Amino acid sequence: MMKILIKQCRAELLRVIRNPYYVFWSLLMPIMFYFIFTRVVNTGGENQAEWAAHYLMSMTTFSVMGSAIMTLGIRLVQERTQGWTTFMRVTPLPGPVYFFGKMFGQTVMHLISIVFIFLAGVLINGVSLPALTWVYSVLWILAGSLPFLAIGTLVGTMKRVDTASGVSNAIYLALAVTGGMWMPIEIMPKLMQHIGKWLPSYNFGNGAWEIIRGHAPDWSNILILLGYLILFMILSTYIRKKQEVV
Amino acid sequence: MEGIIEMNQVSKTFKDKKAVNNLSFCIEKGSIVAILGPNGAGKTTALSMMLGLLDPTEGDIKIFGKHPKDQAVREKTGAMLQEVSIMDRLKVKEVLDLIRSYYPQPMDMNVLIRLTGLAESDLKRFAEKLSGGQKRNLGYALAMAGNPDLLFFDEPTVGLDITARRRFWESVRELAGQGKTILFTTHYLQEADDAADRILLFHRGSLVADGTPEEIKSRIVKRSVSFLARQEGPRLREILKTLPVLSDFYDKEGRIYVNTENTDLVLETIFAEKLEVRDIRIDQGRLDEAFEQLTISQEEAV
Repeated sequence: MMKILIKQCRAELLRVIRNPYYVFWSLLMPIMFYFIFTRVVNTGGENQAEWAAHYLMSMTTFSVMGSAIMTLGIRLVQERTQGWTTFMRVTPLPGPVYFFGKMFGQTVMHLISIVFIFLAGVLINGVSLPALTWVYSVLWILAGSLPFLAIGTLVGTMKRVDTASGVSNAIYLALAVTGGMWMPIEIMPKLMQHIGKWLPSYNFGNGAWEIIRGHAPDWSNILILLGYLILFMILSTYIRKKQEVV
Repeated sequence: MEGIIEMNQVSKTFKDKKAVNNLSFCIEKGSIVAILGPNGAGKTTALSMMLGLLDPTEGDIKIFGKHPKDQAVREKTGAMLQEVSIMDRLKVKEVLDLIRSYYPQPMDMNVLIRLTGLAESDLKRFAEKLSGGQKRNLGYALAMAGNPDLLFFDEPTVGLDITARRRFWESVRELAGQGKTILFTTHYLQEADDAADRILLFHRGSLVADGTPEEIKSRIVKRSVSFLARQEGPRLREILKTLPVLSDFYDKEGRIYVNTENTDLVLETIFAEKLEVRDIRIDQGRLDEAFEQLTISQEEAV
């Protein structure tokens, strides 16, 4: 059992590493945005160093959220439409192991994105944080990506790759904007702020924003993300069960 | 004989359409069985239920005496499905190695490599880069990865050329010789006839015939007795019309034709009743025509 799990994770890892395309796209936009909004456009904040670190976290969470929702979702749809998932169901491979392998591959991909974007922050703005803060940020972003992976599995239940890619893109960008990842939520109208604070994207980002200011993420951030994780997991499981019956 | 697959009054309904209707049969160890039928006859649905991919709406399926989804069943079963797709970004050898690792007693790696028929250089390529035929061969090797006792092939030879087809069936016969049980679907009568030792004939979701290729052929091929009437009289036609085995009765080019499943009985009647006929002939329709007939009537129904 352990042997199968390791093999499965290794296979998924190889697939991620050999597909630099996905990693590249998850890095390109965040790093470009980062450069523009910390170097080109003067955002006029009083504390430039804090803004550089804050926006670095915004862009890293933005990137990871994107691959969790889009890459995972679209890949799941691809594997199903091409019949691979069906083949796997005929083999003795337990479903949870297959699922875990996928999550593992995805997490490694997130880790690669995080490292590259953090590196970009250091190179572009000389962002300097205590070592432990870096570590906490990485851990928070990896753990906080779980509800978005659950959204990814939800996207993965769609019938066609085109639909999945369109829908996931829309969800992704809407979440990013309303959650204050592109621009701080404080500059938005009051109503949007109230809504935004309940969204998973804001809570994901805010955890990281708190960490770089030397605080722990708010309990509300953790609880809200946990709530979304459970909700999306239940939804996704329910839809899958329903699809299997037909 | 040991029953490997037992289907007991199995039906499957999709929304309002009955795809498979009341199937019952038992498949024995070491046999090569073809599920034969036109497109839409319910072949793949039946196969999917045996593979545990679909749950039957009614009825009961046992594979090796267990539920099709049982782990022990999966470990002894291999399958080649219609759409052979392989996970991308993995090399051929890596895919084989991965799938082998799922089984407790996998097939020897070298045997699997031989089954793919791929050159050493192709084994190092990404599996998704292989040609259609090569992918199929890989699909076959993947089905064999667990050294299964029971194999399912869904339309296995679609897209294969004649040589590849022959090689495939030779290898299947060898597997049956080793005591493995093989079930495949096809819509070619010729293929079922050549490869299988038992045919399950499907028509609109039901099992309409079950037997050796010879038995099936004799059932679907039309036979007729024809003759010239030496002396026309109402008695002749009346007696023929009362025959229980008569399926059609007509005149053509001066001859009287009697279509029947049982030509012996027609002849017996002719002689016993001393009917005034001469130049008796027995004709047999062509097999492919008969099967085509079945296919066409199916399409018309849809």
